[in-house]
Amino acid sequence: MKRLSLALVMGLLASTAAQADVTVYSAGPGALIKNLAAGFTEKTGIKANVFQATTGKVMARLEAESSNPVADVVVSASWGTATDFSAKGLLLPYESPNAETVPDFLKMEGAVAQGVAGLIIAWNTQSGTPKPADWSDLAKPEYKDLVTLPDPAASGGTYTLVEAFLANDMSDVLQGLKDNGAIVAGANKAALNPVLQGAKAAVFAGVDYITMSAAAKGETVEAIFPTSGTVVAPRPIMILKSSQNQDDAKQFVDYVLSEEGQKAVAKVNLMPSRTDIKVDRPLIGDLKLLSNEGAPARDDVLADFKKIFN
Amino acid sequence: MAGGSVTTGAEGSVLLKWIATLGLLIVVAIPCLFIVVQAIFPEFGSGSFAAPFSLFFKTLSDPALFGMAGNTLLLGVGTVICAAVFAVPLAALRALYRVPGALIWDGLLLIPFMIPPYIAALGWIMTLQPRGYLEQVTGFNMASLLFSVSGIMLIMGLNTFSVVYFVLSRTFETIGARYSDVGRVFGAGQWRSFWRITFPLAMPGLAASLLLVFAMSIEEYGTPAALGRRIGFEVLVTGIENRISEWPIDLPGSATLSLVLVGMALVAFMVQRWLLNRRDYRIVGGKPQASDKRSLGVWAVPATLLFAFVALLATGLPILAILATALSRTISGGLKPSNMGLDNFRELLGAGSDGLIALGNSLMLGTTTALLAGLLGAITAYSVVKGRGRFRIVLDALSITPNSLPGVVVGVGIILAWNQPWLPITPYNTPFILLLAYVCILLPQPVRYATASLHQLGDNLESAARVSGAGPLRAFTRIVFPLILPSMVTAMILVFAVASRELVASLLVAPVGFQTIAVYIWQQFDQGSAGLGMAMAFCAVLITTLIPLALISLLRWLTRGSVAGLS
Amino acid sequence: MFSKSSAVSGAPALSLQGVSMSYGAEKVLHQIDLNLAAGEVLGLLGPSGCGKTTLLRLISGLLLPDAGQIQIAGTTVAAPRAGITLPPEKRGLGMVFQDYALWPHMSVARNVAFPLEMMRVGASECKDRVTRALDRVGLGAMAERRPSDLSGGQQQRVAIARAIVAEPPLVLFDEPLSNLDRELRETMVEEIADLVADLNLSAVYVTHDHAEALTLANHVAVMRGGWVEQLAAPAELVDHPKTAAVAEFLRLGCLLPALHDAENWLIKGTDLSLPAGVFGGAEAQVLLPEKALRLDANGPNKLKTEVLRAQVRSTGQALTLRVVGTNHVIRHLTPAPVRAGDVLELSFSPEDLRWFPVADPHH
Repeated sequence: MKRLSLALVMGLLASTAAQADVTVYSAGPGALIKNLAAGFTEKTGIKANVFQATTGKVMARLEAESSNPVADVVVSASWGTATDFSAKGLLLPYESPNAETVPDFLKMEGAVAQGVAGLIIAWNTQSGTPKPADWSDLAKPEYKDLVTLPDPAASGGTYTLVEAFLANDMSDVLQGLKDNGAIVAGANKAALNPVLQGAKAAVFAGVDYITMSAAAKGETVEAIFPTSGTVVAPRPIMILKSSQNQDDAKQFVDYVLSEEGQKAVAKVNLMPSRTDIKVDRPLIGDLKLLSNEGAPARDDVLADFKKIFN
Repeated sequence: MAGGSVTTGAEGSVLLKWIATLGLLIVVAIPCLFIVVQAIFPEFGSGSFAAPFSLFFKTLSDPALFGMAGNTLLLGVGTVICAAVFAVPLAALRALYRVPGALIWDGLLLIPFMIPPYIAALGWIMTLQPRGYLEQVTGFNMASLLFSVSGIMLIMGLNTFSVVYFVLSRTFETIGARYSDVGRVFGAGQWRSFWRITFPLAMPGLAASLLLVFAMSIEEYGTPAALGRRIGFEVLVTGIENRISEWPIDLPGSATLSLVLVGMALVAFMVQRWLLNRRDYRIVGGKPQASDKRSLGVWAVPATLLFAFVALLATGLPILAILATALSRTISGGLKPSNMGLDNFRELLGAGSDGLIALGNSLMLGTTTALLAGLLGAITAYSVVKGRGRFRIVLDALSITPNSLPGVVVGVGIILAWNQPWLPITPYNTPFILLLAYVCILLPQPVRYATASLHQLGDNLESAARVSGAGPLRAFTRIVFPLILPSMVTAMILVFAVASRELVASLLVAPVGFQTIAVYIWQQFDQGSAGLGMAMAFCAVLITTLIPLALISLLRWLTRGSVAGLS
Repeated sequence: MFSKSSAVSGAPALSLQGVSMSYGAEKVLHQIDLNLAAGEVLGLLGPSGCGKTTLLRLISGLLLPDAGQIQIAGTTVAAPRAGITLPPEKRGLGMVFQDYALWPHMSVARNVAFPLEMMRVGASECKDRVTRALDRVGLGAMAERRPSDLSGGQQQRVAIARAIVAEPPLVLFDEPLSNLDRELRETMVEEIADLVADLNLSAVYVTHDHAEALTLANHVAVMRGGWVEQLAAPAELVDHPKTAAVAEFLRLGCLLPALHDAENWLIKGTDLSLPAGVFGGAEAQVLLPEKALRLDANGPNKLKTEVLRAQVRSTGQALTLRVVGTNHVIRHLTPAPVRAGDVLELSFSPEDLRWFPVADPHH
């Protein structure tokens, strides 16, 4: 038995990643960061090792590691994390030469959007309900008890949308949803799953690329951009100041923003942050965006939301 | 022989004592210590001891805490009641009567151990929700039951009742043969003899296993997270998890909540140990005798139906739901033949696929964890049983502490401990960190099995070896360890099954670029590939069930039945 | 590790000096002094709780004494004052346990070979010696069986083979026969006696059965409450018990309380007189040894008794007799036909009586 366990230990050692040249902590989708890492290595010869989880898990790991950071590059699904890290002075300022065509609102000191997700209504085409056109449609009797929405505490996208609703005095839509029997169902996937099986008809504040990918796989679900406008969730990519491999990290950011990298972003149905990459889906320029100027602070947004849905 | 501080000349091996102490320090004490420090010093993560207790009392005085703690208690008690309702009648029937197909039911009721709870919960959702599998097949759904507090209790009861069933049926069997027959000789009817003799004698075993269920349910994450969130039912574990996985991260808060949870679980475990210490090992330890189990007569059919019904609920439905999802090309396509296919399995098991790598990683980690936890557990239990005084109490307490630590807390504690910049060498960011986490979480199982097994070993077996010229270490390796090995194998199989699918700690501490079964499944769900995730879950359940079975058959064959208790 | 050859020649096989032992506040052994010459057997006899098993465990090294010194074959193995505490495995002993303590995961041969393996005896020699030891206990054919396949008596024979296989200078027996039924016990006592004599073993034999001790031992130490009441050869023990307690434990006969009035010794509470003994003091216990009593009325002294019970035995009738006028009971075995209710005269000689002081010498 001793010999067996020794062999196992050796096996484990061997399977340990070799000292990574660039370590990337990334929020989903997994396929995207996997492709980006592979493409980057092919192009530069630098190895990229990836830890992929939800934004929350990535942040928890960064927080627990903060006395001895491991990551060089972080990709999050929530712009707020970038603002926060920047305020704490954790980010390395870097303006990639490939970021020229990225619009200003998708850039800040130390962070740039890798891609952008849009918030939509995810509607099951076989649900027997009329196709909704706007957020407020989901408060109509046809959708009674048939709507889910992700918890803004668990989904950065939903949070941004709720924030914009509060900023634009649209909270009556949320109240209408609640009165119509909509339920709050965890993170984005937990909200989408019942819609796929048909238990519910639509996700309020669904995420466009997840819905489009599901549709591409043959699920009977459609992403609808509401007429009154929506919000987008830019996904910041940032280099940590603590990185020991800053040059390699910069090269990684360059690669993500390169034409090849942005095409990989588009492949998972996210909007590329560069405006000069043409993709067959609605892009930022095509969307009517709601402003979130004048929105209350995070705790107040969540408290207001809880007041309506509890 | 009387207690007190007798100087024995045949102390256990000093080397083993040090291995146990050092092992427990590294595996259990260090992560726990870091959690406590984190709860007190909020800035500890970045290496600062500033503002002690500043968040500690804020978290403790949060009114939401009472709600969560209350819900946790409610869930624990409710799950215990459900588990008892399922387990007690089945165990009594199984132990005292000749139930048709008894071994098959035993096997089927073992499978819930192998289904990851979060997968079972998802299976239930996909079965019972409106337009779920149940509605697709029968035309009605049970969503209102599923998404309710009693629904969560029911499902967690189904996930855990087999713990009680197995302990209790063995206890009933032993007592039934030895004592209840005596009662019948003195004129008690079968029914009275059960209630007056068998049941009271089984009470310590029943209470201990129910307390185990209580402890398991208050630290369970998957089911309350999947079902409770929909109805705003938050327990301590989901509260801890939320503080860790939702931006902004609140490590001190989650550490503080963990301490509350650890406190509750410790109380449960202290009560359990108190009961176990009062329990007469000769009753429970005795081998079930070839007793004259009674025939069920006309009740054979209803009893079989009852077993079939519970096995269907606990094992059949979750497995079928997993399989249905794994075989569906799309979720929205439903259970139509045109929507069925092996696509997911093909993608999962394709040559060089991520799935295969994750499977390999998990099997290797599971095996190593089982061996390591088994060995450390045996050594620890031996040192505790042999030890004396304060030393023994410290070891004993350390070895049961992880029972009350949720996986996510262990994960955070391990990162805090092993990613310190001043460490010259660290297992962090290698698969060994997962090994540390798994051994920590699962150590109590082998310790429990080994302790029970050691209590049943006659003292003289070891004394005889010492007098025959074997030193303490040799007496352990040649005599004690081989004799407790059969029950250690059972414990190690349990460890293997759980370690190869552990989710919560794995997600947090998995080294960069390293995938395990659970992480793979979780990522598939996260990416909307529920079918692929369920295909992996099905393979995992299959493997974690079949490998131990094969191992046991192999061991049986090798020892040709000469080693008792391999079951 | 030492064997017979390395032992100091001429040294006693076992020597205990002033050995004491406590469990917490309770003292279980008081100042034990014992010596055992090589090739002899020491019986430790006493009721349960008398400390005999504790004493054996002290000799084996499974327990350590609080004070005193233990030597085995001339080597000091325990002397707390001098800081010497040899663990059991360094004492070169053989031991037979009450519960056999055979290792269930090893075959009979492996069990027996274990002490030799620990001494690193070569494989072929080891095999020879195991075969010899098993043959000696009559189990040569069972070598490859598992202990659990054997009967209780066979298991204990295996345990004995294991204890003697390494030819240790001292073999310890811890109530080895008390788990066996009576018939088997009687056979086994004789087997062990033969074995001990054949191999010229030095042994310590713990038992609560006086017949076993008297059969096997050259010297018997009768223990009570942590003290050695008497250490003597079996015949001496039976003829001259040192205390009333020894006489009672060995069931030597009827113990009568005696009071000295003005001129005579009387059975306490009666006016039945006893022959005068060479005993000072006013109160005594007097032993009426069973073997000194006769049913024929020829002896110089007589005692009138009533038959309470007469039970048929294979060797005669076991009588339970009551001394007339008292509640004292006498047991007697006779071939004569007697029935309950008969009044019998028992005769005895005054020199057969044994007189003991009333007070316990240790308290």
